[in-house]
Formats: sequence, C-alpha cells, structure tokens
Amino acid sequence: MSYKIPMGPYHPALEEPYKLDMICEGETVSDAKLHIGFNFRGIEHLAETRNYIQVIALMERVCGICSNIHTLTLCQAMEKLTGLTPPPRAKYIRVVIAELERLHSHVLWAGIAAKLMGFKTMFMTCFELREQVMDVLQAISGNRVNYSMNRIGGVNRDIEDPMALVAMVDALEKEMVRKVIPILTTSSTARSRCAGIGVLTHEKAISCGVVGPVARASGVGQDLRRAAPYAAYDEMDFEVPVQPDGDVRARLLVRALEIMESCKILRQALTKMPAGELNTGDGKFNFITGTATSRVEAPRGEVMYSVSWREHARNPSRVHVRTPTFVNMPSVRYMVLGARLADTPLIQASIDPCYSCTDR
Amino acid sequence: MTTLELIPEATAETSPWTEEGGVFWLNYSDLNVREVANAMNALQARFITVTAYQLPKEEGLRLEYHWDIDGRLLGFVFTLASKSIESIYDLCEAADWIEREIHEGFAVDFTGRVYEPLLLRSGDMMGVNLREICSPEPPAAGSVGKEEVAK
Repeated sequence: MSYKIPMGPYHPALEEPYKLDMICEGETVSDAKLHIGFNFRGIEHLAETRNYIQVIALMERVCGICSNIHTLTLCQAMEKLTGLTPPPRAKYIRVVIAELERLHSHVLWAGIAAKLMGFKTMFMTCFELREQVMDVLQAISGNRVNYSMNRIGGVNRDIEDPMALVAMVDALEKEMVRKVIPILTTSSTARSRCAGIGVLTHEKAISCGVVGPVARASGVGQDLRRAAPYAAYDEMDFEVPVQPDGDVRARLLVRALEIMESCKILRQALTKMPAGELNTGDGKFNFITGTATSRVEAPRGEVMYSVSWREHARNPSRVHVRTPTFVNMPSVRYMVLGARLADTPLIQASIDPCYSCTDR
Repeated sequence: MTTLELIPEATAETSPWTEEGGVFWLNYSDLNVREVANAMNALQARFITVTAYQLPKEEGLRLEYHWDIDGRLLGFVFTLASKSIESIYDLCEAADWIEREIHEGFAVDFTGRVYEPLLLRSGDMMGVNLREICSPEPPAAGSVGKEEVAK
C-alpha cells in the first residue's frame, strides 16, 4: 500500500519553506513532487521600479547567504551596458569577498548537514568557524549579511590591510583540516548517513542541467571561475574538485575540497592585491540601450543575470535572475527515488537549497 | 541550413553569430525552438534558462533561450506575437521549471506540454501576465527618494 508523506512547507528539516510530497511504499520513496513559491516576492518585477543605485540594494536582498554574488553579477551586467571596467584592485577585492562568502556558505552548509545527520557537536564546530569568517566580512564591510561592497565600475570599500587577513585564512584552513574535514569525510557516523544515499547519476545531472557542487559531485566538471573567468579569477591558480559518485558524500567531499581551494584563492588574492583605485567612472556614466548578461559561480552554482536598459532611462526595463537552486531543486525528485524516508531531509539539504533565491 | 550546421562556423569571418552583452547571439531569422534544442543536445550544450521580455504595446513578447558550451554563452531570440511557442520540455528536462514560471508570470503558452499545479504563485489561475495585472508605475521626475523607498 502506498501513502503520501508531505515534508514542508514548514518542517524541522527545512531551513526555508518549500514542500516535498513523497509517495512511499513502506519506508521507501517511490515518487516525489516539489512545490516552491512560498517565498515569492516578485523581486524581478520590483527591480523595474528601482534606479541604478536602488536596484543594487534590492538585488542584494534576493539571498541572505550569497548576497554579494547577486550584486556582483548585477554590477557586471550593468558594467557591460555602461562600458565601465573595474580597476584591478576592485577585481581582487571582488574575488576576496566572493571567496569569503563561499567559505561562509560552505561551512554553514556543513553545520546544517551535520545537524541533520544527528551530529550536533559538529554543527557547533562549523558554526563557530563560520562566525570567524563572518567577523572578517564584518571587519571589511561593516555588515554581517548584506555587505554592500559592489557598485557599477568597482567596489565601495577597500581592504586596507590585506595581509592581516592571511592569518585568518591560515587559521581557518588549519581548523578545517584538523577537525571538520576528517570527521565529516571519515567518521563512521557521517559515512553511514551519506555514502550511497541520494544518488544523482552523471546522465541525470546533465539532463537536469544542475550546477555548482551538485554537478561537480556527479562528475560534471564545470566551474565558471575556470570556464568563463570574471573579476580576477583568470589570475588565480586553483583546482576544481570533481567527484564521480553523485551521492550525498560526494557533495560533502566537493564542498570540503572547495573550502580548501577557497583558502588557496584567498591567500593568492590577498598577497597579490595590486594598489590603485577602487572604481572607475567617478559616478558619471550612461547606459546604452540593450541587454547584457553576466554569470558568476556562486557557492551553490551558477547565477545568471540578464539586465535590459533603455538609454536615458532611470530604471532597468527588465532584470531576470536565474539562481542555482532553481535548476538544482528539480533534481531532488530523482535523488529521493528509492531512498529511505528517514534519509530524505539530508538528501534535500545536500543540494544546499536556497528557496529565497529560488522564489525571488 | 540547420542550427546544428551553423554553430561550428561561429569563429569564421562570415559567422552568423555576434557577441553582444556577454552572449553569442545567433542572427538567423527563421529559427525553430525545437530545432535549436535538438542542436544544443547534439552538441552536449547545457541549458541555462529562458528570459521573457514584455515588449511595448502590441508587439508581444520576446523570449531569449540560453545554453552554455564550455563556458561560452549562446543566445537564441524568439519574438512571440501570439503568446505561444512550442515547449522543449520533452527534449530538455532542465527547461521544465522556467517554462512553467514564464507561463505563470507572462501567460505564454508552451504548446505540447502539460502544466502541473502552480509553481510560484498561489491561487488557481494558471497563465496570467503579472505585468498587465500590476504594472509598475514609474515615479515622476524628481521624486527619487522617500516615495520610492516607501513603496
């Protein structure tokens, strides 16, 4: 006999509201349907009523975790429409903030995953590490969530002493290598909860068009920082971790290795940061009529903005946001097929979903 | 000439592709969306999204389809006078949610597919053009500031 088990829209396993309707045969999931939209705010529509300064502040609020990525992608698109190129120092600062945000996002996810595994001690450890990253972001920007770092043609704030941050990166990397990564990747608790669970095959990953760590954990080695470099990523030396298994453990491993690569990128960006201006244009620029597109590798995968503007207009005529969770989320349906019901909270969390981004 | 035949010519001097705003656009007037989807599948391109634009007055809608090949962003434009276009959901599974979203927000009918219950909005009306229901009013000149923030 089959029966339907709804998970959400409000459920202890969900950080934000969405709904997974699962059809179960005993304890095994035989089919699932996803429902989103519980956070739909019409931000794209609202953006059409905001000028070029206000729209940056608005889009920063699409997501509370990767807020910087949204303004970076938006500003890069608007720079194409204004012909402005950020100065080298601004590009390096953009890399530093983006990688700090990736660290903060991945460590946060590791904590939540640990909590869902029933590993509360590791949850506390991860959140302590995350706090250190957020302290650095706060020291640079004055804010813990919405950093307001990006502007058209550069950045709003400088990193006055980049070398002072290297010590933080070293300390964080040491803690990750000493505590978090070994326990999450080798402990029997983590292994029993993650290995062979929630598999997304390589073929399904391609047909679903998944992005970011979810794709890379299914053997799809795509990363825009490498494939279509932006900011100063073409000057950074780093690896793109790829795992073939497609299970929750592979997603965990990819993110763990990405934390190490982020530390490597941060160290390079901080030590090689060139002196110079923070922005170009001096606040004077004109938009040309047209549409520009920009893509950035967010912690969860590719973010794409299409921005349309008419010359002399105050507001954009269209801002379209394609977020990573919007494409990763439908693949959860395949991940939970055949899974035990008790594993589904961890499986859905393994894509590091952001419903705030998805619903916009 | 099919889309598939056109793509390898992207670097030739007489290329039908033009780079603009970070996208390689295919300037080919007689494109068919399903033919494009088949060509992209054959090239193992990754589907990214569809962006819908409301054109002024009676001009209808413009849909921009995007695929990625090895970091290169490809774009295909379709102008809809009748608010209808063939679905590529059966050819490209990744297009499912964005087709549903555009159907719900712009009332575009993607023919040849079945819509599941509403993806994003609440209510029971499937295809509604939100811009026609709630058009954002541009503020009067010189009124930047408090009024807009208060909205």
